[in-house]
Amino acid sequence: MLEIRNLTKSFGRGATSVTALSEVTFPIAEGEFFTLLGPSGCGKTTLLRLIAGFEPPSGGQLVLDGRDIARLPPNKRPVNTVFQNYALFPHMTVAENVGFALGAQGRPRSEIAATVERMLALVQLGHLAHRKSGELSGGQQQRVALARALAPKPRILLLDEPLSALDMKLRKDMQVELKRLQQETGLTFIFVTHDQEEALTMSDRIAVMNGGRIQQIATPRELYDQPANRFVASFIGESNFLDATCARGRLVLSQAAGPLPVSHPDGPVTLMVRPEHVVLGSARGGGLTLAARVERLVYFGTDTHVHLLLADGARMVARVQNALRGGAPCAEDDVIEVTLPTDALRLLPKEAG
Amino acid sequence: MVERGFDIRRLPGAATLAIACFVILYIPMVILVVNSLNGGQSISLWEGVSLRWYAVALQNEGFLNAAKTSLILATTAALVATVTATMAALATTRSRGFRGEGAINLILNQPLMVPEIVLAIALLIILAQIKQATGYMGLGYLVVAHSAFCIPFAYMPIRARLQGMDLTLETAAADLYASRFYTFRKVTLPLLAPAILAGFMLAFVVSLDDVVISEFLKSPGQDTLPTYLLGQLKRNLTSEIYAISSLLLLISVLIVAGSWLLTRKKT
Ligand SMILES: Nc1ncnc2c1ncn2[C@@H]1O[C@H](COP(=O)(O)OP(=O)(O)O)[C@@H](O)[C@H]1O
Ligand SMILES: [Mg+2]
Repeated sequence: MLEIRNLTKSFGRGATSVTALSEVTFPIAEGEFFTLLGPSGCGKTTLLRLIAGFEPPSGGQLVLDGRDIARLPPNKRPVNTVFQNYALFPHMTVAENVGFALGAQGRPRSEIAATVERMLALVQLGHLAHRKSGELSGGQQQRVALARALAPKPRILLLDEPLSALDMKLRKDMQVELKRLQQETGLTFIFVTHDQEEALTMSDRIAVMNGGRIQQIATPRELYDQPANRFVASFIGESNFLDATCARGRLVLSQAAGPLPVSHPDGPVTLMVRPEHVVLGSARGGGLTLAARVERLVYFGTDTHVHLLLADGARMVARVQNALRGGAPCAEDDVIEVTLPTDALRLLPKEAG
Repeated sequence: MVERGFDIRRLPGAATLAIACFVILYIPMVILVVNSLNGGQSISLWEGVSLRWYAVALQNEGFLNAAKTSLILATTAALVATVTATMAALATTRSRGFRGEGAINLILNQPLMVPEIVLAIALLIILAQIKQATGYMGLGYLVVAHSAFCIPFAYMPIRARLQGMDLTLETAAADLYASRFYTFRKVTLPLLAPAILAGFMLAFVVSLDDVVISEFLKSPGQDTLPTYLLGQLKRNLTSEIYAISSLLLLISVLIVAGSWLLTRKKT
């Protein structure tokens, strides 16, 4: 439905110019809950502002339903935004805020009133229609902002970290609420967050961004199970990274007992394994077996984090689920055998530096 | 106890100085008002409280004419100044930076920096020529001059408000299909209204209060309240002058207080 093609944005000119987005290309499907995830400053807001039309792109196209909208002003795009600080009009009531877009479009009063009522019911705020927006709590303002952006029935709803100003409890509630709204309306959402858990639990697909570039676009499960590179692997969940080499169809790890057959081109690679997949002792399915000294045990309630020191000085963490009985799986300073199961191993391109 | 930073209130003599300033400012005003309530014939003899001199003033043709002139002048000048100031403030805060923006700020605020008497004499040179050439002797000269020097007073609160306004509100309006004009009418202008009103009131008071320019530029037989009072002072002094001054003070205080309340209410 929306195709982002080679979208680029630089701020400033000459030596001081900053490239906030470079050559971003991907499609978004109708009715999708699509999330932009990345650390602060990676270009998420910039991408959203380009889609909304608040900034002109330095290059590239935004093709919505077959038409390039990249150079249209914001009021000519069927795209609405929920702002991070809500940006409710302080001199208007809740109902006037929600009806603003329809008023600007010159719709008849009766239609505006009916839509406002329907939207306020949708976000469960009917009883506050005549309050001024300044008299609402953060969560209520959030709902008004949502209703206001949904009222004109946009093709796409853009949400820039809409939950970051809310406290933990409210945030969890709003996550559920947002997902419900998206499913009920069948609308395409482009949602920005820097919170990986929020992204994983809510999204149909996630684009992980860093330094103005897309690192990977995938479903939450694919991102976690098959990260494309070291950045994605470390940004989403926790990971262990070990230097390894592929040579003639075999993976060679200096500390491991034996090489493992792999189908990967020869050369240095980064081996990734999630802490919860590391097995203390030997594993049934086989894998790489290493000797390690237990440096530290950290108790986390549901599991224990075992910090391991390998022979060449590399470090690793294993996460072991706590059993009902029996205490710690090992003791500090023990030298133990650990196994990295074959199906948990991921080979990532080795990055310079 | 946390260590306190520098606090000007703790400087020796600061409190004394502040109190002295207040006394010097306000005591004469109190004395003025008290004197205006003197029921006696002579200004130096107190003969009990009365509104006698207010009644005299309100029947005085000269005073009433001057008051009427002043009100018309202040209203028109403040209106022109406010409209101009609003447009200038929008231009300097809402458009992309343009060449000469700094110069515009400087030119708009010029009346605050140039001694008023200089401005008055400069205007007199030109206006005298025009008066001679056209024969027009009406209030127009004063309206133009007052409008000009009132602009910075209207400009300051309006510009401050525009600069303090959350720009995402206007972005949000554009996002919600509003044209530039609709955004201005429904978002910018209503949020700016208190500052515009405050600017108008400040300009009104400044015009109402002006002596120097009015005295230089008025046509023969024309008088504003301040020039009328000035003329009266040169003749015989009665408590009527105190009554008129007190009325002027009352209007100014009401308007300034009103403008302060308006700008303070919405933060
Ligand atoms: N108006 C601007 N002028 C200059 N640089 C900007 C501007 N907006 C964003 N940037 C820069 O672009 C980069 C991306 O910013 P942003 O999109 O806000 O990141 P995010 O939303 O992911 O935190 C940052 O380096 C930021 O400093
Ligand atoms: Mg951002």
